[in-house]
Amino acid sequence: MASPIPLRSRLRRYGTSYAMLLPFLALFAGFLIWPLANSLYLSFTKFDGINPAAFTGLENFQQLASDARFRHALGNTALYVVASVVLGTLLSLGLALAFNGTGWLHRIMRTVFFLPSVTSSIALMLMWKWVLYPSDVGLANTIVGWFGGKAVAWLATPGLTIPILVVMSVWGGMGYGMVLYVAGLGSIPEEYYEAAKIDGASTWHRFRHITLPLLRPVTTYVVVTGLIGAFQVFEAVYIVFSTGANTIGGVLDSGLMIVPYLYDQGFTHFRLGYASAIAWVLFLIIFVLSLVNLRVGRAMKEL
Amino acid sequence: MAVAPMDTIAPAPQPSRHASPAGGNRRAKINGHLLRLPFYLLALTMIAPFYWLLITVFKPPRELARTPPSFVPQSPTVANFYDTEWTPKGINPGHLAGIFQRYQVDLGFWRFMLNSLVITTAITVGSLLICSLAAYVISKHDIKGRRTIFLLIIASMMVPWQTTLIPNYVIMRNLGWLDSYAAYIVPALAKAFVLFFLVQFLQSLPNELIQAARVDGAGEWRIWWKIVLPLLRPALAAMSIFIVLAEWNNFLWPLIIVQSDEMANIPVALARLNSYYVGPDHQGAIMAGGLLASVPTITFFVIFQKYFTRGIALSGLKG
Repeated sequence: MASPIPLRSRLRRYGTSYAMLLPFLALFAGFLIWPLANSLYLSFTKFDGINPAAFTGLENFQQLASDARFRHALGNTALYVVASVVLGTLLSLGLALAFNGTGWLHRIMRTVFFLPSVTSSIALMLMWKWVLYPSDVGLANTIVGWFGGKAVAWLATPGLTIPILVVMSVWGGMGYGMVLYVAGLGSIPEEYYEAAKIDGASTWHRFRHITLPLLRPVTTYVVVTGLIGAFQVFEAVYIVFSTGANTIGGVLDSGLMIVPYLYDQGFTHFRLGYASAIAWVLFLIIFVLSLVNLRVGRAMKEL
Repeated sequence: MAVAPMDTIAPAPQPSRHASPAGGNRRAKINGHLLRLPFYLLALTMIAPFYWLLITVFKPPRELARTPPSFVPQSPTVANFYDTEWTPKGINPGHLAGIFQRYQVDLGFWRFMLNSLVITTAITVGSLLICSLAAYVISKHDIKGRRTIFLLIIASMMVPWQTTLIPNYVIMRNLGWLDSYAAYIVPALAKAFVLFFLVQFLQSLPNELIQAARVDGAGEWRIWWKIVLPLLRPALAAMSIFIVLAEWNNFLWPLIIVQSDEMANIPVALARLNSYYVGPDHQGAIMAGGLLASVPTITFFVIFQKYFTRGIALSGLKG
């Protein structure tokens, strides 16, 4: 395609534009596109970070398919993701419905629930670890003691790991979802409710046929971003449940998930090729979720 | 750690929705509170861990190991922050000193706060400048390939950043950047989400101002600096809060690129402190660190609250 404008004048005309784009594009290519391509390549190799990567074809992926720890990590992640997203979304919506007013009490309550979203996340993790301290000096066990119970080894009981991670995630995230839902509620025209009232619709009917459908874009966003975030959980597992480099997933791997396993393979065992394969499994999962998000978003707009 | 009530996210006043006919008002109010009772209880569970953190910080080690624990510090102390009797020569893991002197690095704990502050500020300012430049070109310049570029950038938002973790680590190592500010800052500057958000914001603004400036003979750089950036101010404020929170809390990347104690950011420093000392009598100092780590983000939030909640709302409703 020959352009009618000569190259020199085109350069003069667009040179500044490209110069302004350059910093972003250079960094974008250098630290995102190239590493992405590179990680795909590495996922087909055996690479210890020191010796050159040796191409091994699909070996890493075949090994992943039969890796019991990886399958365990996937199962844990699925359980954690579903539980934390379902609970988190329901509670976010409930909180928004309960406290979307302008009065001081509602504002204070919103602030209370939002507090974890602005607190340093590492501080929250360390705080939870201290709350769940195994002996009677911990807050959780003190409360258990009030009801006559014996001290629980919260962080050393495999069956409690995922429930605790879910509670921590919901506790920390529902205030954020609440803010989104409050904004969504505020954008529903009051007239809809007035009209429904005149038609004699009950509170439940108004909620079911006006509020819920109109909140659907917010719900989609809360659910999908929640899913994507939950798949990437690392810090909570690493800080709260790991006591050393060898127990990255908590007691008996009870809290092992995708990203902690990626870290474990890549940076404690230096199997960088294998870890890259795990990274690509994570990528595929999140890619599919994002596509679903786009699709649903487009469908919403057409409605 | 008081946070001002979030009045800015409240929807427009809607007097009619919950109001009942006169007379039944008081009853409706009581009913409303009864319905909300589970949420009030939930609010207690929100507050309790924070209260626990707050009192722990002011307890001396002996009181921290006591059963049952006290709910009001019996002999409050600030030794968890700063212990005047501590000397570097007498390091004894059993005895807890203040966190400022705990580390064998210059400036003690302040060093990590300073690291986090430098990194977060550099990334926030740098990425907003770089992204706003690119956003200006993509939304207001008629250049070839801008659609393709924009599409590529949007598509990249689907990539979880952990996928690029290993190659980026190798790049940092090959560049000799491990354990440096550059490794924190440079890879974090091109943020697809920020660019996307700024493009959306710019597209909703009229072109006339920019056209007028061009007619007056202003260069593109000047237009960006004098017109586009001021116009973008609300969007930049909203984005800056997202970036500050994310970078202040960044953990996995620093965990990988940081080797020396000197270069740790706050999360990595606290995680190390936590893995060195695990007894209940150490919790005072660890929690003191956590409390200090939270002060900047909470302060930032209180100052920019309006933009923050608006930014969340915008990102959620448009996304």
